[in-house]
Amino acid sequence: MNLWQAFKMAFKSISMKKTRSFLTMLGIIIGVASVVIMVSVVQGQNKKNMEYFEKMGDNKITVQAYSYYDNNNETSQKLYDYCLSMSDLVLGITPDAEIGNKMTVQYRAKTLSINDWDSMSWGGGMDWEKMMHLKLGSDQYGVCNNYTLAGGREMSFLDVEKTNAVCVLGSGAKEALFDYTDPVGETITINGQPFLVVGWYESMDIQYWPEMDNIIVIPYTFNRTMNNNSTISSYVVKAKSASATTEAMTKLDAYLAGLFPKNEQGWSDQGDYYVQSNNSYAQDMESQNLMQSLVLGAIAGISLLVGGIGIMNIMLVTVTERTREIGIRKAIGAERKSIITQFLIEAAVICSIGGVIGIGIGCVGTLIAGKLLLDEAMMLPGAGITVGAFLFSVVLGIIFGMYPAIKASGLQPVVALRAD
Amino acid sequence: MLIDIRDLYKIYNEGKESEVRALDGVSLQIDKGEFVAIVGQSGSGKSTLMNVLGCLDIPTYGEYYLDGTDVTSLSDKELARIRNREIGFIFQGYNLIQELDALENVTLPLIYRGVSVFDREDMAMEALARVGMEDRAHHRPSEMSGGQQQRVAIARAIATRPPIIMADEPTGALDSKTGRHVLEILRELYREGTTILLITHDDSIAATARRVVRLSDGKVIADHPQEVDWE
Repeated sequence: MNLWQAFKMAFKSISMKKTRSFLTMLGIIIGVASVVIMVSVVQGQNKKNMEYFEKMGDNKITVQAYSYYDNNNETSQKLYDYCLSMSDLVLGITPDAEIGNKMTVQYRAKTLSINDWDSMSWGGGMDWEKMMHLKLGSDQYGVCNNYTLAGGREMSFLDVEKTNAVCVLGSGAKEALFDYTDPVGETITINGQPFLVVGWYESMDIQYWPEMDNIIVIPYTFNRTMNNNSTISSYVVKAKSASATTEAMTKLDAYLAGLFPKNEQGWSDQGDYYVQSNNSYAQDMESQNLMQSLVLGAIAGISLLVGGIGIMNIMLVTVTERTREIGIRKAIGAERKSIITQFLIEAAVICSIGGVIGIGIGCVGTLIAGKLLLDEAMMLPGAGITVGAFLFSVVLGIIFGMYPAIKASGLQPVVALRAD
Repeated sequence: MLIDIRDLYKIYNEGKESEVRALDGVSLQIDKGEFVAIVGQSGSGKSTLMNVLGCLDIPTYGEYYLDGTDVTSLSDKELARIRNREIGFIFQGYNLIQELDALENVTLPLIYRGVSVFDREDMAMEALARVGMEDRAHHRPSEMSGGQQQRVAIARAIATRPPIIMADEPTGALDSKTGRHVLEILRELYREGTTILLITHDDSIAATARRVVRLSDGKVIADHPQEVDWE
């Protein structure tokens, strides 16, 4: 008996026992579909999370430094100077702060409200995506936060030092105030004070954080006049590479330890500080993502295993019926090899069909889940998980499907024939 | 000598209290072209004897030469070949595969024999025609009467044109008229030179054979030729 014959027999047997074949497939279908959907959704979510870090840029060091006696940007200036001295490691430093007061930004007839909490209803009218942020930055704000200039220039060192009334717009703020015209050289007012627009940034285009584009950056030295809390305590330092990040962190740590010396009790009466890099955030996020994938993958794997046990049950239920059939086949001259081949193909075909249907349902399910849960227009499962789930189901099905064949084909024909 | 068995034993649960000697030292020689009825009460060991002779079961002890070959030394694969080419089986319960139609059931042994796809349908149809079932070729067993199913089973047994036909109570589940028809087919095969082994508990059925071997408690108690008038 050749392979083609075995294939034909397997198909015949499947099509003749539709109910049993379908029940066998069902386990595989559910198992594969659930694995594909679950893993795809988790992967999609992870991708989104990582996108944030990618757009924000890596090698960013967050420095929290709070001096108890500084109300004149002294610490900012010191950190700024210190970072300049590490120019072989560091690309830039900027305060990471924004104005928390209610502000009104105007350009001709257009008005933007910043921090206008009263007019925002928490119930539903609140639109986080349209909220504007008035950022306090240094001349290295763009470099530190991964912004690219679309036109004009960054603020200069002198703008910051002399508290010049200049600003750089994020693409969201630029669009809101200027539509598609060039804002460079125009003057906007912030709470009545004129500010010269010197440049604007390209859009970050992050689906989940559109507010990253809704910014107006002014020199951080305005914090005294515009912010009730005149002390800046949070900074972003952009290092040149991953290794430079580690080195710069060590140096910053040592520098700040010198700035805020500890007393015998182990704490400083000068101030407090804290240094961390977003590389470690990203790593944390990545390992968290991996953990999630593993946990959900394991749950999905269990459902696949349950599917496999379903197959095994069906196969065991029909084992006597099949044993008799095997007995008949042996009595009329089938070799053990022919029988095992036929059953192997039968199980493989059933599981493959089930697997393909499962993948189909998984793809549709992933599309729907992607749309509903992650707001992705076209989310499809990855090739790896698809192939993996398919192979797993086929192997499971073959193992369980082969069981009666291996068992019964080894019997004496008369014993197999006697099965009822 | 086609079939030559010497001191054949088939013992279940040997050495235990529940020991059963289904075959208790049977010796039997059958020549090519004989029509032998093996008769005995139920439990006499006649079915066990057929199973062993048909290579469906292995004896516990004893020698079995089939056409000069020592069957007890053959591999699983070689036994399958003998069942396929040398012996055609007819069972009391027909043993057709329910999911396959008549033609497919009859084709099955030809597939296992490796007959080409072009020849085997012709051969299967020819076998069906011999038992008068050619017009039921595409009926499934569930759509046929017992007699029709048995005729399909006979067609399957003769499809590979084996030199030996072994029939275990072939009329047992049939009414006397269809039973006679089945026996008529066996006689026809005998006339063509096929060796027939007919296992039955019914002396009137055994009366159709040229030689009667009587078994009791796993032993041969009588073995004699008989004259029959078939017309």
